[in-house]
Amino acid sequence: MWAEKYRPKTLDDIVNQKDIIERLKSFVEAKNVPHSIFAGPPGTGKTTAALCLAHDLYKEGYRERLRELNASDERGINVVRETVKTFARTRSMGEIPFKLMILDEADNMTEDAQQALRRTMERFTETCRFILICNYSGKIIEPIQSRCAPFRFTHLSRNDLINRLRLIAEQERVNIQDDGLEAILEVSEGDLRRAINTLQAAASIGKPIDEERVYSVIGRVNPVDVREMILLAINGDFIGARDKLREMILKYGVAGSDVVRQIHIEIFRFKEIPERWKIKLADVIGEVDFRLVQGADEEVQLSALLARLVEAGYEMGGGARRG
Amino acid sequence: MKHKPKSLAEVVGNKEAIQKFDSWLKSWDRGVPKKRSTFLYGPPGVGKTASVEALVNDLNMELVERNASDYRTADAVQRFAGLASQYGTLSGKKRLILFDELDGIAGTEDRGGLRTITEVVKSAMCPIVLIANDPYDPRFSTLRNHCLMIEFKRPSAGEVMRHLKKICMREDVAAEESALRFIAQRSGGDVRSAVNDLQALGQGKERLTYDDVSWLAFRDRKEVIFDVLRTIFYSRSCEEAKKAIDMADLDLNMLFEWIYESIPHHLKNPRDLAKGMDALALADLYRGRIRATQNWKLTRYVIDFMTAGVAMSRGKTEPEWVPFRFPERIRMLSKSKSERQMLSSIGMKIRRKCHLSSVRAVKEVIPYLRIIFEDNSEVALGIARWLDLDEDMIEYLAEPTKRAFIPP
Repeated sequence: MWAEKYRPKTLDDIVNQKDIIERLKSFVEAKNVPHSIFAGPPGTGKTTAALCLAHDLYKEGYRERLRELNASDERGINVVRETVKTFARTRSMGEIPFKLMILDEADNMTEDAQQALRRTMERFTETCRFILICNYSGKIIEPIQSRCAPFRFTHLSRNDLINRLRLIAEQERVNIQDDGLEAILEVSEGDLRRAINTLQAAASIGKPIDEERVYSVIGRVNPVDVREMILLAINGDFIGARDKLREMILKYGVAGSDVVRQIHIEIFRFKEIPERWKIKLADVIGEVDFRLVQGADEEVQLSALLARLVEAGYEMGGGARRG
Repeated sequence: MKHKPKSLAEVVGNKEAIQKFDSWLKSWDRGVPKKRSTFLYGPPGVGKTASVEALVNDLNMELVERNASDYRTADAVQRFAGLASQYGTLSGKKRLILFDELDGIAGTEDRGGLRTITEVVKSAMCPIVLIANDPYDPRFSTLRNHCLMIEFKRPSAGEVMRHLKKICMREDVAAEESALRFIAQRSGGDVRSAVNDLQALGQGKERLTYDDVSWLAFRDRKEVIFDVLRTIFYSRSCEEAKKAIDMADLDLNMLFEWIYESIPHHLKNPRDLAKGMDALALADLYRGRIRATQNWKLTRYVIDFMTAGVAMSRGKTEPEWVPFRFPERIRMLSKSKSERQMLSSIGMKIRRKCHLSSVRAVKEVIPYLRIIFEDNSEVALGIARWLDLDEDMIEYLAEPTKRAFIPP
């Protein structure tokens, strides 16, 4: 996949996030890396930077000295603890006495897991340094934050994205037109991985890559038809809306929290919903979001939200709609 | 219901019984036989009523039919059967009088009716057929003496299965053998319920698999569940609604699913529905808390909200007779389980190579892979090799997805 094929392998290859790269290079020079937090939006180079750091630090031996974990897959405290223990326990030969552990999606860890992580980090700090990767550093508990060097990754600039995409297109001998490029930029919202995946998918449909091909990819890739579901509810079709919801959750494996977030965004975009209703709905949405964390059934809670939307639609139509 | 046998040949099994019935009926052509009535008996759904209707159709006779609700008094019986049994039809067709569901005759009040039926049977000038599940009920002892007793036995699972296969062919449904066998075995010889189950599960589908039917284990409780649901949706007080739980030994989570599935059909007014769903959402919240804390005392609140909470939501909705539906979600869950497992395994493969969690891989990479695999097989194979995907995974990704294109 192109997203992997064209991933930079050393810090010198990384074109953007200049300040960060400078600091990381100085770590390599000093042969010392503090515990760090790489925070920022998706697709901005956090994982790449961490991997390149490891590569430059350890050169050929980096596979044994590097371990990647992510919080979504390895959920429990114990998994993290055991894995780290086994990994960090052994001293490494050579100039650099510590190993590197990359913990991705660290903001997905529960507070308890993070507490345990902090103790583990302290215990094995001689033999293992951590790089925590997350979208929001605010979700990392304070004791960990205070022990880590913070790195804020920002959205990639338009030019950086364009240059990268054009480079890949050239290497892969794919003709990409300006409007196609624009479309890709628009849909990726600064996420380089998404942009490259879109590019590759569009290329597989046919060349040259123009706006139409890109939209075709977007349409097929976006399974969250939240807008359509909301419309169904507002127009009184609870069962239709619920079926759509069910399809999203059961068939496409979309997480309830993602649906809630999308609903939140969409509701505020809807011109047809009066302002005071938007506030009322925001309250319900917030409640649903909260309950999901408490372990409630995603579909049931979201259906209750849909029922409120049906009610809202009914009220908006002066109660005259077919109920 | 459209698969009810129209002719005697279509009835499942019981060839001997049908033969007996047939020759008795035909004997009326030669004059009034000694036994003017025949008593068909056996378990429900094995073809007693169906045989009568089919034979009457075959022989082009007029059928006069009554069942349990009409046996209240001697008068009622006399009114409909008395004359009918004596005089010929206007059309010239031969007439047959059927007393179905005789078990439905209640105790002493209907004695009058029962006595009148016996009189009718003794003196009828046209064939009379009685149907009951248990003919050896002491109430029927006098009646039995005047009747030709014909027993209908349960058809074997194999016979039921063959019948189901025929229906599948007629309806253009490709059903797995194991699925049909399951339905047949579960029905315990009740052909009617087997056909109903087949219809409920297979309707509108091109293919029926074993997974689709395996929830049938719950069917036995269906009647009980309907009563409970009716109580919950139509109670006028909290007390009444809460009592629904005691009506039967039901799994709470299962009951929850039934209520959740049926609620939009029974609370049609949007305000009522919103309130009802709120109640269910609260009940669910407590379920989650119980799971998290293992504090089972909270169950009483789950019950409160899912019974009384839902019942009290009814404000504007008019009560009407609406059937209850099986929780669609349960059926879908088992079906989609294999799909989600597939997604998850592909996610794991991607995760190794792309430095992503499998969860994100499913959401952020697989949709693009689908497009690449669907449209461009050369590149796809390269990627498949690189990711180490097996045949099933490749097939899954290459399956065309039908989705509408929504312009931004």
